[in-house]
Amino acid sequence: MMTGMERLIAAINGTPADRIPVFCNLLDQGAQELGLPLEEYYASGEHVAEAQLRMRGKYGYDCLWSLFYVGKEAELLGCRKIIYAKDGPPNVGEMVIKNYDDIARLQIPDDITSHPAFAEELKCLRILKAEAGGKYPICAYLTASMTLPAILMGMEKWMQMLMMGPSELRDELLAKCSDFFQKQAAAYRAAGADVLVYSNPFGCTDFIPRKFFNELSLPWMERDLGPGGTAGVVYYCGSARFNDVIEAVIDRLGIGVFYLSPLDDIAQGKRLVAGRGLTCGVINDIKLLTWSKAEIRAEVKRMIAAGKPGGKFLFGTLVMPYAIPEENIRTMLEAAYEYGRLDAP
Amino acid sequence: MLARVMQQYNEAIMDTDRTTALQVVRDATGQGIAPEEVVFEVVVPAIELMMKSISENQGVSLAQHFMAAQIASEVVDEMVPRFKKAPEIVGRVVIGTAPGDFHGLGKRIVGGCLKAMMIEVSDLGLNVPPERFVDEALAHDAQIIAISAMMVHTAMDENGCLGVRRILKQRGLEERIRVAVGGAPYRFDPELYRTVGADAWAGNGITAGRVICDLIREVGK
Repeated sequence: MMTGMERLIAAINGTPADRIPVFCNLLDQGAQELGLPLEEYYASGEHVAEAQLRMRGKYGYDCLWSLFYVGKEAELLGCRKIIYAKDGPPNVGEMVIKNYDDIARLQIPDDITSHPAFAEELKCLRILKAEAGGKYPICAYLTASMTLPAILMGMEKWMQMLMMGPSELRDELLAKCSDFFQKQAAAYRAAGADVLVYSNPFGCTDFIPRKFFNELSLPWMERDLGPGGTAGVVYYCGSARFNDVIEAVIDRLGIGVFYLSPLDDIAQGKRLVAGRGLTCGVINDIKLLTWSKAEIRAEVKRMIAAGKPGGKFLFGTLVMPYAIPEENIRTMLEAAYEYGRLDAP
Repeated sequence: MLARVMQQYNEAIMDTDRTTALQVVRDATGQGIAPEEVVFEVVVPAIELMMKSISENQGVSLAQHFMAAQIASEVVDEMVPRFKKAPEIVGRVVIGTAPGDFHGLGKRIVGGCLKAMMIEVSDLGLNVPPERFVDEALAHDAQIIAISAMMVHTAMDENGCLGVRRILKQRGLEERIRVAVGGAPYRFDPELYRTVGADAWAGNGITAGRVICDLIREVGK
C-alpha cells in the first residue's frame, strides 16, 4: 500500500498511484480524540501531535497538520489573549494593532523558532517528523501578508485601511507582515513541514477588485514568496473562489498547487490549471453536519468525477467543523477512497 | 442631468473610488439637484444595482460591498440634515455579532446600506448575548434583530440566534420582532437559517438590506 506522501508526489507528477490523495483537515477534533477541553488540548504540542497521528491512523487519510489554530500567528506577534470556545476554533481576543500608531510599534521576531509562542508548535512538528516524516506530508498554515493584518487589527479595520487609509502606513504594515511570512516559512521548512498552505483571501476577486489584485496582491505575494520559493506552497483563499486568478498565480508566482473553494467549479479549475499543477477539489464541509450518507456519497462522487480525469487531482476539505458526526467523516472518506481509486502502479 | 449623476456615481462605486463618488454628489447638489434626490434617486438605486449585480453573479467583490455601504452612509450623513423635512423612518433594526464571534465587517456593510434606505440601525457591537439583542430591540422599538456570525459554531450556538428565538418565544414577541442572520456559514448552507430559528438570511451585506426591508414590511402587515 502506498503512503500519503507517495500518493501526493504521484498526483503532483501525474504518475501512477493506488488512489488520489485525500486531505481531511481535522484540527479541533483532536481534543475530542484525546478527551480534553480545547484549551487544555492546544496548550501542548505533544497533545496536538498525538491526536494528529491518531486521527490519521484511524481514518486513513493522507495528511498531518502542525497547525493549532489561526490565531497562533497573532500570538507570535504579541497577542496575549485567546478566547476558547467549547466547540469551535479559538479566536483572537485582543487585537495587536488597535490604532495606526501600533503599526510602528509592531515588532517582527528575529528568530521565530526561539519565540515562546512557537515552542509547542515546534514540539508538535518534531514529533510528527519523527513518527511520520517522509510517509505522510506534514502541513503548516501561513497567512499571506495581504491577509495577516485582518488577524492583527480585525477584518473591518483592515478593509477600511486597505480601501481608505494612508498608503504609506498600509505599506509599512504589509512590509512587516511580509517579513513575518518569510521568516515563518523558513522556520516551518527548517522544522520539517512539507506543505505550506499559503492562505490569502485577499488574493482573489471575491474579496478585492481585479485592479487591487493586480496592483497590490500580486506584488506582495511575490515579495512573500521570493526568498523561500514556492516548493511545497499551496494556493488557498480561505473558502473564497479563485478560479479566475489561477492563470496570474501560475504566471507571476509559479505556484503549482491550487486548493479551490467549495464554491469553485472543479472541472473549470482543472482546465485552467491545465496540467501545470495539482488541482484540489474541496468539499463544502459545513454540509457534512446535516447531509445523509447518500448525499455525502453523491457529492464526493460528483466532485471526483469532475476532477479525477487526466490525473493531478486531490480531494480535500476545509477546516472541518467540530460538530460533524464521526460517521459522516467516515462516509465522506470511504467514498473518496472508493471513487478516487486509480490503477495501481 | 440626474441620469448622468447616477452613471458617474455608479462608476465611482464600482471602482471603489470614494473621493470621486463624494465629489459627484456634491457637484450634483451644487448644480441644483435636491439632497432628497441624491439619496433616493442616486444612492439607493446604486445599492439596488449592486444587489442585482451580486444576484446575477457578476463578480462584485467584498471590498466593493464595503465601499458602496461606506460611501452611502457618508452621503446620507451629509444630505439628510439638508432635507426639506425629516425623512420618514421605514423601520428599526438592532444588529450585532453572535456570542463568541468577533467579525464586525458584515454588520458594518449592512448598517451602511440600511441607513441609505432610511432604516434606523442600532449597532450593538461584537459578541452580543441573546438577552441583550432582545432587550435592545424592545428599547429601540425595532422590528428586526440582525445577527452576524462568521463561524459555524457561533452561528449554531445555543446563545446565538437559537437563544434569541427562545427568548422571543418565551416573551411572546415573535409577531412583533423578526430575526435575520448573515455570514459565511449561511452561504455554505442556505438552509442553516432555519436550523438556527431565523426568519431570513442574506448571503452578503448588500442583499441583507433587501432581506431586512422585506421583513420590516412583514411585521407592518
